[in-house]
This record gives sequence, C-alpha cells and structure tokens, in this order.
Amino acid sequence: MLKKIYKNKQAMVGLIMIFIVLFIAVFAPIIAINDPEEINPMNKFVKTSPHYPLGADQLGRCVFSRLVYGARYSLGISIPTLFILALISISIGTISAYLGGRFDDIFSIISDIFMAFPPLIVVLSLVGALGQGIRNIVAAVVFSMWVWFAKIVRSFVLMEKNKEYIIASKIAGCSDYKIIMSHIIPNILPSLIVCFSTGIAGLMLMISGFSFLGLGIEAGAAEWGSMLSSGRAYLYSHPSLIVYPGICILFTAAGFNLFGEALRDIISPKEV
Amino acid sequence: MTRYIRNKFIGLIIVLIGVTILSFIFSNISSVDPAEAFARRTILNPTTEQVENLREEMGFNLPVHIQYLNWLRNCIKGDLGISLLTKNPVIYDISKKLPATLSIVSLAFLWIIAITLPVSILSALSKDNFFDHIMRMITIIGISIPNFWLGFLMLVVFAIAIPIFDVVAYGDFKGLILPSLTLAIPIASSSIRLLRATILSNMNKDFVIYARARGISRNNIICKHILKNSMPPMVTVFCQNIGYMIAGSAIVENVFSWPGIGRHLVDAIIARDLPTINACVLVIAIIFVLLNLFADVLNCAINPKILQETGGF
Repeated sequence: MLKKIYKNKQAMVGLIMIFIVLFIAVFAPIIAINDPEEINPMNKFVKTSPHYPLGADQLGRCVFSRLVYGARYSLGISIPTLFILALISISIGTISAYLGGRFDDIFSIISDIFMAFPPLIVVLSLVGALGQGIRNIVAAVVFSMWVWFAKIVRSFVLMEKNKEYIIASKIAGCSDYKIIMSHIIPNILPSLIVCFSTGIAGLMLMISGFSFLGLGIEAGAAEWGSMLSSGRAYLYSHPSLIVYPGICILFTAAGFNLFGEALRDIISPKEV
Repeated sequence: MTRYIRNKFIGLIIVLIGVTILSFIFSNISSVDPAEAFARRTILNPTTEQVENLREEMGFNLPVHIQYLNWLRNCIKGDLGISLLTKNPVIYDISKKLPATLSIVSLAFLWIIAITLPVSILSALSKDNFFDHIMRMITIIGISIPNFWLGFLMLVVFAIAIPIFDVVAYGDFKGLILPSLTLAIPIASSSIRLLRATILSNMNKDFVIYARARGISRNNIICKHILKNSMPPMVTVFCQNIGYMIAGSAIVENVFSWPGIGRHLVDAIIARDLPTINACVLVIAIIFVLLNLFADVLNCAINPKILQETGGF
C-alpha cells in the first residue's frame, strides 16, 4: 500500500503539498519574520521588501507572517473537526448498518430529515442561533455534516456485512463487538480514509467561507478567509491582498484533493 | 409508478414534519431570550413587567410543544412572523429576494449542463490523452478553489483589468453572467469528474460489448447507450446541486453585492433576526426536499428498472 502511494505521482504531489502546509503550520513562529498581529501604521501598504516579503496590509501588518500563521488556523480547525466527524459518523453508521431492523429505520428517517438541509444552511442558522466563535463553528459543522458521512459509512458496512467471512466468524461464535471492531472496521478502513481525506478539503473551503462572511472567527484574525474578507475593501487599489490568501486556500485544498483522489485510484483501480 | 410516487410523497410528508421540527429547534437553542430581545428593540428601556407582558402576548411562556404547534399553524397559513430588522412580514421579504437568487441559480445550472456534458464525454473518449489530463488538472483546481475567491478574481479580471462587466451590476442579464459562472465552476468541475468516472465504469458492461458486436461505432455507443445509462446518478446530483447553489449563493451574493436570499440570510444572522433566519432556512430546506423528490421521479421516468429494484410495482 505504502509502496503504491510512493509510486503514484499524483499521490506524492498531494502528499508533499500537505506536508508543506503542515510544516509551515507547525513551525509558524520560526518561519514568520514579523509578529502577525503587530500593527504598524507607518508601513501601511508597503511594497515587497526584505523586511516585508509580501508587503503589508491596511494596518501595516506583515502579509507573509499572517499567511504563515493562517495555516495554523486552517488546519487547526478543520483537522479536529474531521476527527470528531469521523468518530460520530463511523460509530453511528456502523451500528445502524450492523444492527439493521428498527434501529436502521429510525436512522434512515433521521438522516432523511437532516439531509433535507444543505450543510451550509444548517451551519449558517446554527451560528446565527448560537453566536460566533470557533467552538460554535466546529459544533455547527459537525452537526450539519455527520449525517452525510454516516450515510457513506453505513453503505460501506452494508456491503461488508453480508460477505462470507463475516457469516463464518458469526458461526465461529464471535461477539458482535469483536466482529465490528476487528473484522468490519479494518476492512472498510481504506475506503473510509479516502472518503475523509477528500472531505477535509471541502471542510476547509466551508470554514474559510464562513470566516469570509464574518461568521465564526473574530474579525482581524490571521485566518485566510477573514484576510480575504478584510482585503475586499482594497480590491481596486491592492488586489494582491486578496490574491495571496486565496492561493493559500487553493494550495492546501488542492493538496488534500489530489492525495484523496490518488488514494481512491490506488484502492479501487477499476473505477478510473 | 403511481404507487412509487405515492410512497415517495408519504416519505416527503414525514421529512417535511421533521424539517419544521428541526428548524424550530435551530431557532430555539439560542441563548437570547426572544421576548427580551423584542422588548429591547421596541421599547427604549423595558421593565421586567413589560418583558413579562410581551412574553405572554407572544406566547413564549407556553410549553415548547404548544409553541411549536402554534408556529407550525402560522407557517401553514403563510405567516412566518415579522422581521426584527426590516419590520416587514418575513414572507414578503423572502418573496422579494428569492427571484434574484433563482435567476443566478438557473443560469448557473445552464452553465453546468452546458459545460459538464461535452467536456466529460470528450474526456472519457480521449481517456489518458492530452485533453483528459488537462481537464483533470483543471477540475482538481475547480473543486479546490474557494468560490468567494473565484468571484473576486472574476471581478478583478473581467470588471477591473478588462472592463467588460460592471462591478455592481444588478438588474440586467449581463450582470448575471459573472455571479452565475462563479457559482457554476466548482460544481461543474465535480460533475465532470463524476460523469467521466460513471461513463468509464459503464464502458465494460455487457450492453456495450453487445452494441460493439453489432458494429455500432464507438462514438455512437458512448453518446447514445452509455450516456443514457450514466444519467440516473447525474440527475440526482444535478438536482441536489441546485439546492446547494441556493445555499451557496450566500457567499457569492456577498461577493457580487447581489440582493438575493443568501445575502438576506447572512444579514439576518449578523443582526440575530431569528424569524428571518428561521424562515429562510425553512424555505431553502423545502426547495431542497422538493428537488430531491423531483430527481427521484425523473429517474423513474428515465429508467423504470429502479421501480423493480425497490419493489415499487
């Protein structure tokens, strides 16, 4: 498996892009030249210089340093969100598919109701009701997305559940818990990894979209979406303030998408 | 067929009841006391007594399930409350804003169909060729691009650097082009990838081998036989995408200063105008549910085999 990833060009490109962003996020204090929050009105909109590699924004803050710290926000919000989502959807999806019967019927009705709302709308209305803040955004995203992932997990488990080796282990006297934990989950894990690694790009885009709208992360934070949003007032005079954060979002999302798609090709080669 | 549709309708009613419950919950988990919020807006310095009176008058002192039933009864009558922000009936505001959004979304939908079908057929025909590789690259970028950024790029390029379009252009058809393209490009990219994969996975099916054995040309097989068999998942995705686009318009309308329902919703959220938030969510959810139902029925009409599989006869 690892060898196949190593050989696949697309997967390696995606993986390298992800690692670059991870590296920048982890070592942000070392890479950033200036303090991202340091306001210096004297240097308003200064041009590129050794001290300000990408210039400064409307408050004289170093754009480069802010972009570097932005990687922390972007990954720091979307990765934990993804883990919570994965935990909830895998447990609910697996249990509902494995037990079947009435439990599954109830799950189907609930998921139909949740799926009647486009995720963006659920998050918007929840943030509207709960108020802003990173924790609320994460809660709202989890609340709106879990059912979509749980549905996918459920379909994987349903396919796996009726295979002969599961029936064999039932006859051999395995407990349900053991069948789920040591047979079903390991076997559907590759498909799950594909599903969640392409999902993370969507999550990132969604979260940066919210901070662009001014919901979630407080205004003025060094987050890519809110940098874009504060740069929009200078669309005519300084379009570069908008271009850089956008490229960062695009780069990170493309990394995860490339890797996820390549992983899918590796795991189920017949589809492409 | 009628039985299938009837079953779907029963399911629809259950879902709609759930939708109303859920949107009622959304608006009630807020930590803001609605009576007090309303009092502070209408009366300068409300006393506790006035707040309590208002609470009784507006029915906020009743048990939750009775409040829900009252709210539902008003909803069915078409009375979704009064906006705290504009002081108009919410339904009036929405009916004024919805057409603007629907016009972008319908044009975007046309773009999506016009781009997706030819490009994905060509990609599938020339699998692993130059065109296919280029399209795969472009679509990867298309699904990774944040659509608000895409909107700004469009503005910078086509309205400022090369002034073909106006920056704020609400009103005429020309003004629709940039917002609808912005909405369409990410969705078209994911649709192209999906349709290409579906076409390719249908290539090895028995009916294709049979058609080839009959001497039908490769292009003919793809355009007539495979495309028709690849349609059911696409119909579902296309209809869902209309719903996503209505929701996604919240962001695009903000970029292009477009007075649609999405922007109205965001404004309401920032002002914590709960009746409006509630009503917008409800309207969008109902549109979304109806579109999904439409997709199911359309799929049935295209491919009656679905009826047999679900035992709908």
